[in-house]
Amino acid sequence: MSQALASSPVAEIVAELLTDAVRQAEAAAVLGIADVSLEVRCGCKGPGTVAWLDSLDVPVPEKFNSWLPLGERGRIARLGMTEFLIEGDAAVVERLTTTPRAAGVYPVQREDAALMLGGARVNELLRQTCNVNFAALNLADRPVVLTSLIGVGVTVLLEQTAQGLIYRIWCDGSYGRYVFETLHDIAHELGGGTVSPQHLYA
Amino acid sequence: MRLPATSGEWIDRSAPIEFKFEGRSYTGYTGDTVSSALWGADVRVLGRSFKYHRPRGVLSLANHDTNALHQWGDQLNLRADVVPLQAGMDLTAVNTFGGLDGDKGRVLGRFARFLPVGFYYKAFHTKGLFPMWERMFRAMTGLGKVDLDSPRRSTPKAYDFCDVLVIGAGPSGLSAALSAAAQGASVVVVDENARAGGSAGYQIGNDPARAEIHARLLAQVSANPLIRVLTSTYAAGYYKDHWLPLVSAERMLKMRAGSVVVASGGFEQPAVFRYNDLPGVMLASAAQRLMHRYGVKPMQRAVVLTANADGYRAALDLLARGVAVAAVVDLRARAGTAATLVQQLRDAKVEVLMSSCIVEAVPGTGGASVAAARVGAVQADGSPAADLRDIACDGILMSVGWAPAANLLYQAGTKMRFERAVEQFVPDVLPDGVFACGRVNGVHELSRRMADGTRAGSHAAAAAGFGEAVGSALAPEVESPSHPWPIVAHPEGKNFVDFDEDLQLKDFHNAVQEGFDNIELLKRYSTVGMGPSQGKHSNMNGLRILARLSGKEPQQVGTTTARPFYHPVPMAVLAGRGFNPERRTPLHSRHEALGAKWMPAGVWQRPEFYQLAGKVRLDCIREEVAAVRGGVGLIDVGTLGKLEVIGPQAAEFLERVYTSNYANLKVGMTRYAVMCDEAGVVIDDGVVARLAEDHFYFTTTTSGAATIYRELSRLNTMWGLDCGIVNHTGAFAAMNLAGPRSREVLATLTATDLSAAAFPYLAVRECTVADIPARLMRVGFVGEWGYEIHVPARFGGALWDALMAAGAAHGIRPFGVEAQRLLRLEKGHIIIGQDTDGLTSPLEVGMGWAVKMNKPFFVGQRSLKAIASKKLKQQLAGFTLPPGYSGDVPLECNLVIADGDIAGRVTSIAWSATLGRHIGLAFLRPDLATVGNKVSIRLTDGAMVEVEVSPTPFHDPENLKQKEAV
Repeated sequence: MSQALASSPVAEIVAELLTDAVRQAEAAAVLGIADVSLEVRCGCKGPGTVAWLDSLDVPVPEKFNSWLPLGERGRIARLGMTEFLIEGDAAVVERLTTTPRAAGVYPVQREDAALMLGGARVNELLRQTCNVNFAALNLADRPVVLTSLIGVGVTVLLEQTAQGLIYRIWCDGSYGRYVFETLHDIAHELGGGTVSPQHLYA
Repeated sequence: MRLPATSGEWIDRSAPIEFKFEGRSYTGYTGDTVSSALWGADVRVLGRSFKYHRPRGVLSLANHDTNALHQWGDQLNLRADVVPLQAGMDLTAVNTFGGLDGDKGRVLGRFARFLPVGFYYKAFHTKGLFPMWERMFRAMTGLGKVDLDSPRRSTPKAYDFCDVLVIGAGPSGLSAALSAAAQGASVVVVDENARAGGSAGYQIGNDPARAEIHARLLAQVSANPLIRVLTSTYAAGYYKDHWLPLVSAERMLKMRAGSVVVASGGFEQPAVFRYNDLPGVMLASAAQRLMHRYGVKPMQRAVVLTANADGYRAALDLLARGVAVAAVVDLRARAGTAATLVQQLRDAKVEVLMSSCIVEAVPGTGGASVAAARVGAVQADGSPAADLRDIACDGILMSVGWAPAANLLYQAGTKMRFERAVEQFVPDVLPDGVFACGRVNGVHELSRRMADGTRAGSHAAAAAGFGEAVGSALAPEVESPSHPWPIVAHPEGKNFVDFDEDLQLKDFHNAVQEGFDNIELLKRYSTVGMGPSQGKHSNMNGLRILARLSGKEPQQVGTTTARPFYHPVPMAVLAGRGFNPERRTPLHSRHEALGAKWMPAGVWQRPEFYQLAGKVRLDCIREEVAAVRGGVGLIDVGTLGKLEVIGPQAAEFLERVYTSNYANLKVGMTRYAVMCDEAGVVIDDGVVARLAEDHFYFTTTTSGAATIYRELSRLNTMWGLDCGIVNHTGAFAAMNLAGPRSREVLATLTATDLSAAAFPYLAVRECTVADIPARLMRVGFVGEWGYEIHVPARFGGALWDALMAAGAAHGIRPFGVEAQRLLRLEKGHIIIGQDTDGLTSPLEVGMGWAVKMNKPFFVGQRSLKAIASKKLKQQLAGFTLPPGYSGDVPLECNLVIADGDIAGRVTSIAWSATLGRHIGLAFLRPDLATVGNKVSIRLTDGAMVEVEVSPTPFHDPENLKQKEAV
């Protein structure tokens, strides 16, 4: 199998909407939206998952709907009680996808459209698209929110980085173009636009 | 005319604005409303009334002047009293025939006696005259002209959040905001006016101390970082859990508050006397707004009709701004708390008449202005004495009381009671988290309103979790600010109660006499409160009249139901940006490049067919079919639902949810699956593939995926089986490579043994195709050797490209949904939802073979037992038209007719090039469903076509296409 054959569910719309390179840093500071769909990712759920992850030395967020960092650039998010999304740490993803599943563990193929949002006006965009008050969440709790955004079920993770607060959003890849295009339009109205991920997350 | 500039006015005199009204040019200022600019330019007739087309001017200047509705281009029904003046406006009054001045509709006033209350209900009594009345009413009614070509306006909605929402930025609301913020709550104050301050900014009474209070409140609020003030925005409704839409000209803000303070004030109420609608007769607060906000002189010489201290303050304000006050006419015997104000007026040589009323506004020349107020003493029963006199004036102010702006409180579920001490409804029992203060709470005196606001703000903050609630309800007012009967009968009528609908006092008498003596019936019969202002200036007087006529107390009469929206919301704002979720498979752009013509399939877009240059739709589809039958075709089936069930009891789970057996399904094999609901109705179908003993992968219909996943999750939770369900619908791309050459094409991309022995019909294999991990299923929905190939979505595009490249040498063609429909029809395969409906059992569509009644249980089994014990009412059967038939062809849903009765209907029909004739499926009465029988189908135009019941499958009945030898 060749990862080179893989393509992001939003690759085409991103190419279409990408802000000029010279303006990307400026757009990202206001409200940047970036595609990170091709990061390594896997999922699992089921009553045996917590024990299975423990057995594989994968840290498990204690609280429901919270997350923990994995390695330098990865994360594990606990979605509700017994479902997990693991992303960004190739070694852990490899371990989880090649280890035979245990009793009560159901692998989840994660083919999400994965986006990052950041910038000074990101909360304005979220207020136009989602009824969750993200501003009221305590970042120290590393919150994960399962909600609906512009009519699509999404998972949202808030992460404080050296560059500022970023929101990671995952949705079913088949909704990717609709979600990306809609969010881009709003971001553009607010003075931002589509940028490369490094402008939001070094 | 304009008054000299004064501090605090809302207009910018350095920024004049040119505009047009009814073809004439005028100049106003930035900060003006349309009405204030016109009134300042001495225009007195701003619009025509709805029914009699009477001339109307300023009444409230508070968003209720619904006779001054204007049209500007494609913007219709602009409320001139509140719409900000803009440069270049070219306005016309709505509801006129031939312009405002020469409105031909005013002739209706002369026929008033023929247009009694409820006349339109009576008009429709005669059925024969219905069309005439309908045409007439449609021509005469309606406000403004809709421009259907006006561009869509995008008005993004937004959610917002606060601890305490305060509705109303008057003195009580601002006090509440300060109090709540002092306890640490984040506060949003919303007010429909362009600036905060409310009545504190214009009910001055020429008293510097009151002006100082106004300035201080504004400064304190402005300096408080916890308080946000949203002006030109109104709370349009009250929904559960303190959720309120806040509407401005640009957008709707969906506010979720921890608690809410309703400080919405009151609507000043008009008095009822003859010709109380003439331009120049206005509410006292309207005159004060004109002066203090817009620097406009409301009239030259006024008579003030009052029944409270507010009217005296209005008179003092008039005097202070250079308006002569000819008299103050007080309905009451004593001035009460206004005694000192009375003295100030008398000192200024203003005549003050106690126990007096205005009987009539005497019209000026032309009938569109005021020449005098005809006044007289009030008798004990409220009627005027015979001895009347005229007091010359060009304007009359009315200050006789207030109705609480309690719409939102009602919507929130507040129980209200009528309080005689203030002659208004006040909150009796408030819902949790809802608080009221100020005039809406029956508190009217300025300092008391502020104290009430401070109390409410503290309680609201505490309810939202900030600090302790401080203060308790205030003692009642010492005198009522509202008169219990500000109504004067007149034998010649034209004493208006409802200005929206031109309802006069006598209309109420007539309605009650006709039996409409319940407030809800009266409203609908008379239309009181049903106009654009929704009764804000008429409901209270209407209620008083009904109470008196029916001998009831106002509490007994009650109020009509207050529903959202409190105030009309423009459709553009209501619609907002508009989010329409759409799903696309990973192959979308490939289809686009190949010329796909799209069709919606639920939230998905699917290629209906691929357009070839120079070819019509039908030819394109037929070519796609031919490619599949004769070579190889490729269709995107990624929209199918794709679910997995994993765990020791996965097979048991499937046994329960599908009608067939799955416990005995071998690993590496698939089986067709039918799902029923508990009534035994077919709701879905698909293919179940067993990947391991405890692992099944199965498909559902495109439209059923989400519903089926939800239902299966519910059942799994209920049954508590040791298995889990995963929804992989969007996670896998899927395509069907079909046709006699499909195996050759696929063989170039995979090392998997594709021989019939190693990979038989209905087998499933996990392997790689084009170096991509894939699940291959040998299925035959289209009736040819073929493979459904499922791969992780990110590889979908690469797989499609590889298959198309590999198939090029074999003339591979992409095919769309229409070709697939024909191919499966030839094979006699049904489509759930097209060949079934919401009542179809599997037994009626020939799927008895897929229903295993000997299982211990499956959903719908019990119902199917009952169904099986009775004779079928219908049966799906194949039919054909004769080869060479050239007449009109039946359409899907055309009816089968036998013995003059409906005996079935067509569910599918198409031309089959393979068979050289039209073929179809139809529900038939079982006695008609014998092969070879002839049945008649009625075409849409009524003609009948005879078809022959035929066996299915039409194509490859022996299933030879799935066998190696073929």
